[in-house]
Amino acid sequence: MSTLQTTVSADQGMARFERTTSRWGRITMTAGLLLSLAGPAYLVFVLDLGVSVDQVLGAYAAVAATFLVFALVEPITYFPILGQAAMYQAFMIGNISNKLLPAAVVAQSSIGVKPGSRKGDLAAVMAICGAATVHLVSLLVFVGLLGTWLLSLIPAPVTEVARLYILPAILGAVLVQSIATVKQARTTVIAVTASLVLLFGVLPLVPALGSFGIALAVLATVILAWMLRAKGGTGAADLPADGVA
Amino acid sequence: MFPLTTNTAVGQSTDIGAIAQSPLLWIFALGVFAVIFVQSFIYVRAAKAAGPSVGMERRELNQAFRSGAIASIGPSLAVVIVAIALLALFGTPAVLVRIGLIGSAATETASAGIASTTMGAVLGGEGYNQQVFAVAFAAMSISGGAWMLATLILTPLLKRGGHKLSQVNPAAMALIPGAALLGAFSMLTLSELPKSTVHMITVVVSALVMAGLLFVARKLNAHWLKEWALGISILVALAVAFVAHTA
Repeated sequence: MSTLQTTVSADQGMARFERTTSRWGRITMTAGLLLSLAGPAYLVFVLDLGVSVDQVLGAYAAVAATFLVFALVEPITYFPILGQAAMYQAFMIGNISNKLLPAAVVAQSSIGVKPGSRKGDLAAVMAICGAATVHLVSLLVFVGLLGTWLLSLIPAPVTEVARLYILPAILGAVLVQSIATVKQARTTVIAVTASLVLLFGVLPLVPALGSFGIALAVLATVILAWMLRAKGGTGAADLPADGVA
Repeated sequence: MFPLTTNTAVGQSTDIGAIAQSPLLWIFALGVFAVIFVQSFIYVRAAKAAGPSVGMERRELNQAFRSGAIASIGPSLAVVIVAIALLALFGTPAVLVRIGLIGSAATETASAGIASTTMGAVLGGEGYNQQVFAVAFAAMSISGGAWMLATLILTPLLKRGGHKLSQVNPAAMALIPGAALLGAFSMLTLSELPKSTVHMITVVVSALVMAGLLFVARKLNAHWLKEWALGISILVALAVAFVAHTA
């Protein structure tokens, strides 16, 4: 087909973007999955270490008891934020809440587009590509090449503090930046209130819900924000700049 | 490959590095890096092709790429420091793939700890030999694979649901992503507060520095400051955490 025309409609353009990213997203993620399993498979099946498959399955069962539920809940939790294309990036690159989402939020705020709009989705994908590039290069150089040398150089208390407090150091700033980007005062109040109620009210009473904490906060915020949304003309301000046809 | 004399000695060596740094593991690890590079390349091209159709100039897309890159410098260096600290435990290839990519330090160390326990060993401590490392690495990798498998299966389903919703109710689709973002980060951030006084101080300092920087950036119309704000906030918060922790 001849696509000489330079102006395609927004729908066509985005449809093509989604086709390309979903096809290649799936292909690359499958390749990443297989490569990440190839290393341990080599240790267990090729090297004669005396490790049995039963031992591996037993160990995995114990790990799954804690983490399998996260593997199922997190993709659902982050889908509305990331959008289809970025899902295949985020869950392969990892470090979603402490690096990729912050990068997307910074990019969206720096060019002034809203999360979930078409421009917002494209900005998020570009930002994650930028973040991935920096991340891969810094890992290759500082961990892959210089890691062992740096290990002897960095004082133990520094790595200790970085390990213990890196998450709070990132999250405080990112929460503020998200509030500034989304620009919905009402939703912000709802999100913080819902989290406080869950964290100090519901979860201590029902510890079994512990692994669903973030998912519950997302669900509660979305539902309450919808039910308590500003009705009438002002709501248009919350629509994506390019509209949804 | 290894001078294995008696069967009981097989895999009992505590020299983790001998197998953890094997060339094949390096090749598989670098393969994951290559896959992500290729993916990013394809995605950038696709975004640039789609940009004009939604009225987004190439300049804006490039700026988004740069903003994402700069914003990730702080978090990436933090991940690097944590990854380096775990090198002795897992060797470079496993750290690169499991801690640096795919997983996160917290999840993967916890997984490896749980897996070691099923082998009657302590991660990095008593009984942590080549066998235990192999089993822990395998368990971590299968567990991390579950996330990717779930993503591969659930994304198309969620996408279909999102499409339906955006047709039936566009206003909901305009509201949901922002609300989900705020809900997730509120919960993630507030969960840090009860952990310790230092955690609380770190969160508050990080938030205040960011708020101050965003305010200054708006007043001075300093665009670059918005991009660097995250890195600066992390550094200041960690410095304060260091003082508070060692005090």
